[in-house]
Amino acid sequence: MKSSRAMRARRGSERLRLAVGRVVLLAVIVAGWEIGARARVIDPYFVSRPSKLAHTVGGWFAGGFIYPHIWATVQEAVVGLAVGIVGGVLVGMLFAFFPFLSGLFHPLMVVFNATPRIALAPLFIVWLGIGLASKVAMVVSLVFFIIFFSTYAGLRDVDVNLINHVRVMGGTRRDLMRHVLLPSALTWIFASLRACVGFAVIGAIIGEYLGADRGIGWIVQYGESMFDSNMVIAGLLVLMVFVATLDGSLGWLERRFSHWKQKPL
Amino acid sequence: MIVVDRVTRTFETPSGDFTAVLDVSFRVAAGRFVSLVGPSGCGKTTLLGLIAGLIPMSQGRVVLGDRPVTGGVPPDIGYLFQRDALLPWKTALQNVALPLAIRGRPAGETRARASEWLRRVGLAGFEDYYPHQLSGGMRKRVSLATTLIYGPSVLLMDEPFSALDVQTRNLMENELLDLWAETRNTVLFITHDLEEAIALSDEVIVLTAGPGRVKASYPIPLPRPRNVIEIRFREEFTRLYEQIWKDLRDEVQQSYARSTRI
Repeated sequence: MKSSRAMRARRGSERLRLAVGRVVLLAVIVAGWEIGARARVIDPYFVSRPSKLAHTVGGWFAGGFIYPHIWATVQEAVVGLAVGIVGGVLVGMLFAFFPFLSGLFHPLMVVFNATPRIALAPLFIVWLGIGLASKVAMVVSLVFFIIFFSTYAGLRDVDVNLINHVRVMGGTRRDLMRHVLLPSALTWIFASLRACVGFAVIGAIIGEYLGADRGIGWIVQYGESMFDSNMVIAGLLVLMVFVATLDGSLGWLERRFSHWKQKPL
Repeated sequence: MIVVDRVTRTFETPSGDFTAVLDVSFRVAAGRFVSLVGPSGCGKTTLLGLIAGLIPMSQGRVVLGDRPVTGGVPPDIGYLFQRDALLPWKTALQNVALPLAIRGRPAGETRARASEWLRRVGLAGFEDYYPHQLSGGMRKRVSLATTLIYGPSVLLMDEPFSALDVQTRNLMENELLDLWAETRNTVLFITHDLEEAIALSDEVIVLTAGPGRVKASYPIPLPRPRNVIEIRFREEFTRLYEQIWKDLRDEVQQSYARSTRI
């Protein structure tokens, strides 16, 4: 017990050092940027300046300008994510349990998955308009495949030994599903969920670039059309914080549901 | 009771049919502990899989109690696998409780009996540990408790202790015998280790190098209760060992020669 406490203390101090190091690194970058821009070593017309960006972003939040845009992007990403996850899990299960279906659709899935989704965005806008629906379609087209492939792999890749173990103790198909197949698939799905969040936001932003009247992507696109790099970068900053928050909460969820896993040494 | 009657299993492979088990017949009377020994690759695991209904037979018949094994896992059997098969996402307690949960027993009873079984295999206090947090020997104990908790009348064991170090292994063998003295299931135990087979069993059946056939069968009239470590010092043990080894040696050599052919 004593040794584990010592270990925990050591790990704690390591974590603290890491945290301090990260803050310092960020401070150096921001300071370098600010000083460089003021000294005209780098051109603030193209890269703006941290203090100016802070002023812009602060103004957006204080004036309430930013909220409808964040909300629009959140809505697109979250709705698309939900639809993509549910669809991917369902189709993944279907294909894993009915190999014929899987064989039938396999070439189609591969072709769709290999198609660059940006190429589809104009189609989605033509079909679904510049509102929510086209962005959701964009997000779904990205998320669905990731979740589908993880669900499929998670179900197909289960250790036969585990299945036999539960069969021999009297487990029915339902028991196998509940105690072996789903938990196994869930670990795969969780492993890809974080990547999905990234893709969901990318999908929403791309959709907004190409045709929208709101959203963080629209801000960036609007700034670009005005040659206002300050606005572009401020929009990107909001985007980064937004994605980091989302990713952080997902990491927390993942840790909660994978407590049974061996931690890497 | 286990009856294995002229059982054959052939697998199709790209290089032609491969017969793993050929015309094997034997029986294990209810409440007896019988070991199958044979060189590696003699179809021992296949045979166990056939009896457990996990692998379909090509020919022959298996009867457990008074029920023939046809298509599917028969009820009321336990199977201890060579690699442990604990569910990694369940704690020791949840793993041991699973067979009862599957049978729809009330949660309170399930919990109480599972922790009682963990205590019986010497793991009181480890209820909330996940498999990866336990040692190989501890995982085997959890597996054993998981298999015994629902009182299967037939227990199939596939080299369950072969991955353990010698000391742990001897301890586990003694614990198995103690538990078995209480439960008295019919046991079919597979091993390639003749000493282990003699120390544990009422009868030892020698299989030939693949395809596995029954070569000979020896009753082991050593008194019980036994201590697997001390029983090896008895003269009778040595005599039995020599006698059976003569049979087994040829098969091991044949299997070895085959596996090292260039």
